[in-house]
Amino acid sequence: MLDIKNLHAKIGDKEILKGIDLHIGPGEVHAIMGPNGAGKSTLSAVLTGRPDYEVTEGSILYKGEDLLAKTPEERAWAGIFLSFQYPVEIPGVTITAFMKAAVNAKRKALGLPELKAGEYLKLQKEKMSLVQMRPEFSKREVNVGFSGGEKKRNEIFQMAMLDPDLSILDETDSGLDVDALKIVADGVNTLRGPEKSAIIVTHYQKLLEYVQPDVVHVLKDGRIVCTGGRELIDRIESQGFDQF
Amino acid sequence: MGHGRYIDPVTAGAPGKLYTVRAGEVLNLEFVVLPGESRDIHLTVDLVAPGAEAHIKALYLSRAGEKVNFHILMHHRAPGCRSTQLIKGIAGGEARVTFGGTIVVAPDAQQTEAYQENHNIVLSEQARVDTCPQLEIYADDVKCSHGATVGALNPDELFYMRSRGIPEQEARTLQMLSFLSPVIPEGREAEVEAAVRSL
Repeated sequence: MLDIKNLHAKIGDKEILKGIDLHIGPGEVHAIMGPNGAGKSTLSAVLTGRPDYEVTEGSILYKGEDLLAKTPEERAWAGIFLSFQYPVEIPGVTITAFMKAAVNAKRKALGLPELKAGEYLKLQKEKMSLVQMRPEFSKREVNVGFSGGEKKRNEIFQMAMLDPDLSILDETDSGLDVDALKIVADGVNTLRGPEKSAIIVTHYQKLLEYVQPDVVHVLKDGRIVCTGGRELIDRIESQGFDQF
Repeated sequence: MGHGRYIDPVTAGAPGKLYTVRAGEVLNLEFVVLPGESRDIHLTVDLVAPGAEAHIKALYLSRAGEKVNFHILMHHRAPGCRSTQLIKGIAGGEARVTFGGTIVVAPDAQQTEAYQENHNIVLSEQARVDTCPQLEIYADDVKCSHGATVGALNPDELFYMRSRGIPEQEARTLQMLSFLSPVIPEGREAEVEAAVRSL
């Protein structure tokens, strides 16, 4: 699914990723944990093609293709989704208008006909209920005036709408209370499948209690310094990141 | 906030088209300046009796070397009048846009409500927008505000939309239409959308 080799990336003059190697197979959920400033969000940004981040060395293959050659929208069409740590407000654009444009752009890229209005609304209603968003949210401007929990639920709703093959959850648990965390985790678990992979980026173990990863990596100072199973989460919990 | 002495701007010979709004009347003005069009919108509104209202909405879209000038004087002569102005536009190419808007509240015009907003998006390095909103208030019991911004399309919004699969050009169009939506006159949505797509 995803093959990252010796990835180096910088923003401005600052090198942040200093040689990342990561292999994720179909259906696998990987957690990437690490202290603030380790490069976790940079990795998410590079995977989704955020401008301002420059890859200086290394390669990323996604489904066998050169991911770095693709634009952000092409990556989305190919099945990559990022749940933003800080979802962006888009004043003047409703959730329905936004998601309809996104869903139909992906369908068009895949050679499928656009959804008719009725089909779209049915899908939207179904996916909103997955994260317990009230139907009236569809008429709200994207993320404008949303609480922290509502923003994160909106991210998972969008993930459900776009049905990605590789989901990247960037600090999706930050700022969530327990109830919202459970809703988000249930949504993510529902979307798991044998061909669906995910990267969960976090510096807490909170979300990982509900969404169990297959592999856990520790990212520190731009490198993966330790890889293991779930037992690594407990080790981090009891001894912190300084041990690595 | 007034500087110096009140001089009646209308009798002093305010230039441009003069609209006189009387007691209980409501003046609604809408302007749409489409790409390729150079325009001078030069007007004075005189609110002469209590309860008069004036509302101005304008949008402009420029993509080449157009020159678009707004020169608006809103004169609150009488008490208890209300005015709003919302002027928004997008300047590309080598467009030159100027906005000069003045609200004058005369000494007798207590309980005035007057608002003025001018917001601009600049798409190219060569386009230029100069905005100069002014308030002259000679009464002391009024609600007035004005604001102006000139900026680029928000890159975070753009990336957010692209990360969801909305192609860059479509994302920019959505951003521009949402920016303009408060000033698009009813019934002209399709025309404005086509013009935005042409930028």
